[in-house]
Amino acid sequence: MSDNNKIRRFSAFRIAEHWVFMITFSILVITGLSQKFYSLDLSMWLIFHLGGIDYVRLIHRYTGIIFLIATSMHVITGIIGIAFRRWQPSMVINKKDFSDAVHNIKYYLGMEDHPAICDRYGYRQKFEYWGVLIGSIIMVFSGLILWFPVSVTRFLPGEIIPAAKVLHTNQALLIFAVIALWHIYNSIFSPEIFPLDKGIFTGTISRERMALEHPVELARIENKPVEEILSAHRETERHENSEVN
Amino acid sequence: MKGRKKIIFVLAAFLWMCVVLPAQAGDVDISDEAQKCLGCHAKHGLMKTFENGDSIKAYVDAEKFRASAHNSLRCSGCHTDFAGDKHPKRRFRSKEQYKIKASLACRTCHTCDQIRARSIHAKLLNEEESGKAHPCTNCHGSHAVMPVGRKAYKNEKQYCLKCHGYKLGMEFKNGEKLSLKMDLALLQSSVHKKLSCSDCHFGFSNSQHPQRNFKSLRNFSIANSEICRRCHFDKYTKTMESIHYTMFSQGNLNAPACTDCHGSHSVLHFGKERKLIAQRCRKCHAGVYEIYANSVHGKALFDEHNQDVPVCIDCHTAHDIKNPLTLDYRERIPDMCSKCHANKSVVSKYGLSTDVVETYLSDFHGVTLSFYRKQREEFNKPARLIAVCTDCHGTHNIISTRSTDPAIVKANLVKRCRQCHKDAAKNFPDAWLSHYEPTLANAPLVFIVTLIYKIFTPIMAIGIILQIILHIWRYAVNR
Repeated sequence: MSDNNKIRRFSAFRIAEHWVFMITFSILVITGLSQKFYSLDLSMWLIFHLGGIDYVRLIHRYTGIIFLIATSMHVITGIIGIAFRRWQPSMVINKKDFSDAVHNIKYYLGMEDHPAICDRYGYRQKFEYWGVLIGSIIMVFSGLILWFPVSVTRFLPGEIIPAAKVLHTNQALLIFAVIALWHIYNSIFSPEIFPLDKGIFTGTISRERMALEHPVELARIENKPVEEILSAHRETERHENSEVN
Repeated sequence: MKGRKKIIFVLAAFLWMCVVLPAQAGDVDISDEAQKCLGCHAKHGLMKTFENGDSIKAYVDAEKFRASAHNSLRCSGCHTDFAGDKHPKRRFRSKEQYKIKASLACRTCHTCDQIRARSIHAKLLNEEESGKAHPCTNCHGSHAVMPVGRKAYKNEKQYCLKCHGYKLGMEFKNGEKLSLKMDLALLQSSVHKKLSCSDCHFGFSNSQHPQRNFKSLRNFSIANSEICRRCHFDKYTKTMESIHYTMFSQGNLNAPACTDCHGSHSVLHFGKERKLIAQRCRKCHAGVYEIYANSVHGKALFDEHNQDVPVCIDCHTAHDIKNPLTLDYRERIPDMCSKCHANKSVVSKYGLSTDVVETYLSDFHGVTLSFYRKQREEFNKPARLIAVCTDCHGTHNIISTRSTDPAIVKANLVKRCRQCHKDAAKNFPDAWLSHYEPTLANAPLVFIVTLIYKIFTPIMAIGIILQIILHIWRYAVNR
């Protein structure tokens, strides 16, 4: 494949951001879930080998701080970018996402002959993004409440502490489920992607995948109508299939 | 020589009596004089009255006299004032005086030196010299006297009580005194009633009675407590791990020995009446006892005779009592409380929840505690103090929260919280759901959040999995 075939998708900032989230998230999951499921042998083993429960809590909290900073930066840069630098608010959910979702389910069930035609981010990506972003904010706030219960109860009722605990612990499980099932499937195990979607690490994506997954954006980049991109893509696909056969 | 001959004679006579003539015991050759005296004195009804009004029977059991060691003696051999037709009227002030006087007859044959040679008598003779009389007949009897070693006692206890049933005493080097008088009824009521005296007092028997000297009564008690381990070795080894033994080995002789808690001749089973246990501990731990007696547990024990409540040993154990101020002890406190409070058969009838232990263990403090415990056990890692049951509820002074105004409970709880969470605000205790599972009524926020996730998380997970399955299925169909 030549360089022409590659399309720049993510800036260095986004690549770095993903690395930070990936690492902090993993550490938080390991140190957090082993506290949630503390009676499991694996959790015990982990906690003892990380130097005991006190160290695990320290690691969890300070990693949480990095996570908080990264999340805040993400939100702030997003707001600034959209407000002052004319970034496309490409993550905003609109009506089309709902119709895309219905369309795609119909496609899976064989009631449509092609998948939903998506822009820069598909409805699945948007769903994951907002789920994780809101979840992260919940995690950060409930985590802080649990870290400083004495200070928090000076202003808020005492019940906020056990509520923050159930919130933190349940939301953690939810985010973990979304990431472990959905994100890992979509970026590693999905048969179209396997073994790994390198996009977020290299910052580029092949034109072919763009045509398949983000035809609207590709059409905007290449200044062509979407139909042309789609028909060209289907042509090559048919061609490839016949070659295989 | 004369003495030995006499002994041989007596021995021979006894053997003859036992072996040859058991059936004809009544026909032992007793002296004519004795037969003559028995003519009257073998009949009941004769009395001797003393000046102070006391009286004794002048009756002699002919059978017993015939079987006695002195059966061949004439009556006047001992009753020297009487002989043949001589039967003087004598006056005595009291029974005691009569006994002393009569016993002097013994010394004509059994000299003081002979008597002193037996250790058991030495002390009595010494006392006699200082004016305190010990008539021989007190222990040996009179007309039925037998050589001590061959006396047919039913059991050893009766043998020992022959002397120890009387007012005996011993004195220690430091001047302390101890009564050696035993009460048979007391012995019979103890758990050791089937044992013989020498089972515990080894070294003592009907032929041996060593003279021992102890510095003090305390030394005597400690030495005697060593006896118990001959049978109760398991308890003895446990005791060696106790704080009492540690104190003892550091030279504190007041640390309790077996007999201090269990008593000696009156040793009982404690199990039947549990308040006895607490009362034993009170002997030294009076302050704690008072506090305990006013606690919810102590009141139930003493006022209601409730046998379910814990007494001292249920938490502290009975023999291997550990120092309760150690971290190790502290970390085991939830276990101690859970013995009853996690056991439905014990606490349910009082309307108490058995969730209290589980709710503690699954909360922040409980989880941290179990980790600290394991870390210390497995890696010898030092641990910080973490709140256990007693930090909120108190130890010996536990009171019921039900009978107390919730506002007071909360106000007290803040104080407890502040021991660790220094700046805790007044509503900080609400962070703890008081061992209750969250419900809409007692913790609405917690309940609602939990409920939302209970519904939302499975829907989300199933949705995602369905999407994935559909995606894979479509991909497979497309190929």
